[in-house]
Amino acid sequence: MDLDFTRAERDFRAEVRDWLARHVPERPPSMDTPEGFEAHRAWEALLASARLSAVSWPEEYGGRGASLVEWLIFEEEYWAAGAPGRVSQNGIFLLAPTLMAFGTEEQRRAWLPGMARADQVWAQAWSEPEAGSDLAALTSRAERADGGWRLYGQKTWSSRAAYASHGFGLFRTSGARHKGLTYVMFPLEDVAVRPVAQLDGLPGFAELFFDGVYVPDTMVIGEPGDGWRIAMAATSSERGLTLRSPGRFLATADRLVALARDADPALADRAARCWIDAEAYRLHTFHTARRITAGEEIGPASSMGKVFWSELDLRMHGLAMELLGERAGTTPWLDGFLFALAGPIYAGTNEIQRTIIAERVLGLPR
Amino acid sequence: MDFAFTPDQLALAETVRDVLTEHCPASALRSERLPAWDRLAAVGFFGLLVPPEADGLGLCLVDALPALEETGRACLPGPVVETAVVAPYLLPGVPKLASGAVRVSVVPPGGAGAPDADLADLIVVAAPSTRGRDGGAVVVGREAARLRPLPGPDPCRRLSEVTYTESTPLDRPLAPALRAATVATAAQLIGVARRLLEVSVAYARSRRQFGAPIGSFQAVKHRLADVAVAVAFAAPLVHRAALAVEAAVPDAGLEVRAVPDVGRDVSAAKAAAGEAADLAARAALQTHGAIGYTEELDLRFWLARAWSLSAAYGGAAEHRARIREALAGGDLRRYP
Repeated sequence: MDLDFTRAERDFRAEVRDWLARHVPERPPSMDTPEGFEAHRAWEALLASARLSAVSWPEEYGGRGASLVEWLIFEEEYWAAGAPGRVSQNGIFLLAPTLMAFGTEEQRRAWLPGMARADQVWAQAWSEPEAGSDLAALTSRAERADGGWRLYGQKTWSSRAAYASHGFGLFRTSGARHKGLTYVMFPLEDVAVRPVAQLDGLPGFAELFFDGVYVPDTMVIGEPGDGWRIAMAATSSERGLTLRSPGRFLATADRLVALARDADPALADRAARCWIDAEAYRLHTFHTARRITAGEEIGPASSMGKVFWSELDLRMHGLAMELLGERAGTTPWLDGFLFALAGPIYAGTNEIQRTIIAERVLGLPR
Repeated sequence: MDFAFTPDQLALAETVRDVLTEHCPASALRSERLPAWDRLAAVGFFGLLVPPEADGLGLCLVDALPALEETGRACLPGPVVETAVVAPYLLPGVPKLASGAVRVSVVPPGGAGAPDADLADLIVVAAPSTRGRDGGAVVVGREAARLRPLPGPDPCRRLSEVTYTESTPLDRPLAPALRAATVATAAQLIGVARRLLEVSVAYARSRRQFGAPIGSFQAVKHRLADVAVAVAFAAPLVHRAALAVEAAVPDAGLEVRAVPDVGRDVSAAKAAAGEAADLAARAALQTHGAIGYTEELDLRFWLARAWSLSAAYGGAAEHRARIREALAGGDLRRYP
């Protein structure tokens, strides 16, 4: 057992730190405004020009074949540098792993390089009005058409859809519940999009209405009917490492400790606890990375990480709100707090995650 | 980076676990003061950290960590950490230490007393702590010590106040030994917490009310899931602290690596492990209901151990205060 970075890993960290120090822009407007969206896209393109937008991808798609540990190092440096949020998050960290695992070589070549440069920005489209935590209740459907499929139905809480170019999600092609679902990518230009303002007043997500939108067969990932298995593989990576790496929380914890430096001991104690927990998430992730590298399946244990980071993030930002009081709105902490509030809800509510932990990790009866 | 225990480290724990399963069953906690000690000595447990020139194995703390966790899981009585971890740091020259023939107890700085001092041959008594400064310590032979038992929650880890007539000054620095003891205690707490979670899950699966196992109820599930999360994220802090302790000991024959603040890593481990064990104890008691609140159910021993070890070598609040102080200095660099 050791916790030592290799020379190559230390060099990589130094390179990333140096590049970010020279290129990270002033805080752009929110990515959920038209000008902010474009600013975030331009930032993604700049990252891509240094092969830093998707470091863990193979080189042929625009990455640098970085190891899991190197990716974690990248993330630490990225968030410590105060770099912008990732407008390409859905694509790079959710769709791309799915294409790597289940897509065809043609699909990977068609979509990954553009995703790395943010030529296309992807929205995710899982939830429906009657299918939230119970995703398998979804009713949006794909009907066979000549050389492809026509999509019908409604999706909701589709993050980034207000400005994105493409989306991906599950559509029913046959059967009931988990059976007969198909994983489909689609352009948003033919979809009716109703942006939905979030707690910050900006349209971070949208409702999508499909009325016979045509997609060719090449937009289906994996076999028709196999969508549930494919999506679950992706969401388990979402809950696990790729959605929220430790770097983001380490950076927040450091800023929180600085903010709480002269606070009264009760508040400073809570800041210290958050700092410890951010370290715990980092170390736990190093252990998980080791297991993944050794070929182990993480499986339902990834739900533990989701509960831990989302509640840590909320505790940190909630404490910052207490420390700042009425001045919170003049700092980035307010936006961070509003964003953190969503953590226990998205990617599977924490109630669902706790049930998964109890049943599938601990073995309690259904 | 290879942040997982090696097969050798796990095999050592497996050996200790087998010994404890056979020789330290829950029934022994009611009838013996030192169950399984002679068997553990026979497999070399007390010599793990003792240098080879004193007939020990000369291993690192991290090598022994999974085995120490097993002693927590089994609720092993006796001054385990003091004899197996503190003594090799402070008293490596004491004859027969590696064989387990000499038992050691410790009054840490700021501690109320020494655990199981009546079973110890030697007692290390630290000078009252002077805010982080190593005030030194003395060694007291059992025959020169007067012990006054202190009431406490744990019937298998009894504290005694120690006064003495004769003592020998300790010629080694106390701080590294205390850090190692704190990490070892944190490892035991992880073992206690894991055992508490296991027995709670087992009980929730078998106990039926309203025609269903209580473990099928979401309120019970979510409470136990919270324990699983707390333990899963406390454990790596303990593992890191064990590595940090070794990396900061120059005479361990290792390159001294850049560990910004070993004490901070140790405190993080102890605070998190203590709170995880405390949460596990609360959840275990609530899951068991009234039967858990009895003296006759063995659960009581693990509840008590969670409480006694949480307080040993500094409680969570005390350790967080140390972290707060360290962070206030402005050095937020991390190990690794």
